[in-house]
Amino acid sequence: MTRTNDGPAILVVDDDLDTCRNLADILSDLGYRVTTANDGPSALKLVEERPFDVALLDLKMPGMDGLTLYREIKKRRADTVAIIVTAYAGGGTKEEALAAGAWHVLPKPVDPPKLLGLVDEALEQPLVMVVDDDPDLCQNLWDLLRERGYRVGVAHDEEEAGKRLKDRAFKVVLIDLKLPKGDGNQVFKLVRKNNPEARTVIITGHRSEMEQLVQSVLKEGADAVCYKPFDIPNLLGMLDKLAR
Amino acid sequence: MNADELYRRYQELQQYVGWTADDARRVQSIGRLLDSSLPALVEDFYAEIDRHPEARKVITGGDAQIERLKGTLTQWLRELLSGKYDADYVAQRWRVGWRHVEIGLDQVYTNTALSRLRRGLLRALGDVWTGDFKELLAVRGALNTLLDLDLAIIEDAYQAEYTARQQRSERLAAVGQVAGGVAHELRNPLNVVKTSVYYLLNARNPSPEKRTEHLQRIERHVLVADGVITALSNFAKMPVPTMAPFALAPFLRDLLELNPLPENVKVTIDCLPKTPALLGDADQIRIVVGNLIRNAREAMPQGGQLSITAWPDGDSVQIAVKDTGVGIPKENLQRIMEPLYSTKARGLGLGLAIARAILEKNRGSLKVMSEPGQGSTFTVRLLAAEPADGEQHR
Repeated sequence: MTRTNDGPAILVVDDDLDTCRNLADILSDLGYRVTTANDGPSALKLVEERPFDVALLDLKMPGMDGLTLYREIKKRRADTVAIIVTAYAGGGTKEEALAAGAWHVLPKPVDPPKLLGLVDEALEQPLVMVVDDDPDLCQNLWDLLRERGYRVGVAHDEEEAGKRLKDRAFKVVLIDLKLPKGDGNQVFKLVRKNNPEARTVIITGHRSEMEQLVQSVLKEGADAVCYKPFDIPNLLGMLDKLAR
Repeated sequence: MNADELYRRYQELQQYVGWTADDARRVQSIGRLLDSSLPALVEDFYAEIDRHPEARKVITGGDAQIERLKGTLTQWLRELLSGKYDADYVAQRWRVGWRHVEIGLDQVYTNTALSRLRRGLLRALGDVWTGDFKELLAVRGALNTLLDLDLAIIEDAYQAEYTARQQRSERLAAVGQVAGGVAHELRNPLNVVKTSVYYLLNARNPSPEKRTEHLQRIERHVLVADGVITALSNFAKMPVPTMAPFALAPFLRDLLELNPLPENVKVTIDCLPKTPALLGDADQIRIVVGNLIRNAREAMPQGGQLSITAWPDGDSVQIAVKDTGVGIPKENLQRIMEPLYSTKARGLGLGLAIARAILEKNRGSLKVMSEPGQGSTFTVRLLAAEPADGEQHR
């Protein structure tokens, strides 16, 4: 397993080398593992290689700007919490960044205590993962759970879920039993193997058809089942109990 | 304009149209005659406004305001017929024009409104006049001239106030643009300074090397910030050029040494053999061509071809700096020479604005042609030191 107790991983992206070095110095001094990149494409390469808990992204960079970069990061690893830093005050950029799912937008020059406070807060947010082949449902759950203070990973098939589970320790994994590629039951088994402490919630829209499988997975140790369409308050309440 | 200046201007206009004390007396003589006709004139005036939505919409205070305005108009008519055209009178007229700008009334309504009042006054005068016909013509003439003078002052005030407001908002827009451009360029170095200071104050175990590194970084970025301010103030006060002849080929060679290009950019210099020496301030022109070369390099991050070509053209020399870079979209082409306009992540957006300003002072010019995806060509035109056709520079 690559997941170790080396401390939380932070990605710093800024085209100004000195800004990167300074944030790296401040964060490493506090025990974080810091990786820096000076442009979007090299940052994306890093994200593809390994997960980061928090990404600090400069907004205005040559080539790919910070917001575009965040959108790409989100496609690859939706559970990365992004803090965007910008030298421009005002304009609609802040709203746009927040709408795209960035967590906070901070003005330059950054206030380090504030930034460090946010990083700590992000790290305390429980990690959950949604495994479902429906991208719209994933996006909706992402918005809903992010709003509720979770870090939300997304996987659309068994293979992707397997990769994610090897990379990180999730508190809760929501699994759609019926996946076009692979099968939810297998995903459940992967969770037990790679993330034994993770709680699991089975989600399914085929109540009668899947009932037998649901019951057997519950017997094997799944924590709960949620039928589609979701009873949202119920789902959120259950997650809060399982994750915190 | 203060009240005295206004009055002097009014007197000047009076003189221009041939206004005399007799005219004033004539108008005064009909004041009493017309006084009983004024309420009907005023009523007619506001009834007409009610029929024109564009004029009506500036009256936002409802019937109460219309009643007040009727009072003001009656007062205005009484003053008009008072025979007393002093500084106070002129100041009142000036206020009308000023007020029209404030409430956003189109000037065309002032003209037509005055025309309507003029017709009304002249008709009323005809109705009540019992005297000599020749005198009636003289009185009408005086009244017309007086109204024309009123209109001139009102329009003058309108224009002065309108222009003043326009300039104020343009100035504000310019300040906003400067603030936005400078903000980015200053906040980045400030960000480095601030985070280095934080590190120095709070790091748990900084090594002496780390401390030195951060102190040097602070110093470096103070210089960066200072450079931004220097660039801005240099742009604001560009010195007068010292025009002298200089040869192009060595000039370009030195310039390329100062602005080295990366390996992946191929450079060709092609000066036609008969290209004459240039006339200009070589130090300033170095900034111009240096900016163009730097822009070309930044337009070709993946490499490409930079060609500098020069040829004589009448009493001038043309120097084309051509790249095979990303090119400039048509919609940006109009704006790239504006100060503080930039599409780049870094930089104030002064490079081309400075180039253009320098060339204007050096009696040259700058042109651009660009094709997105193909590249851009910036062409500098400068005077030749010895014109090929023997024409003399003035």
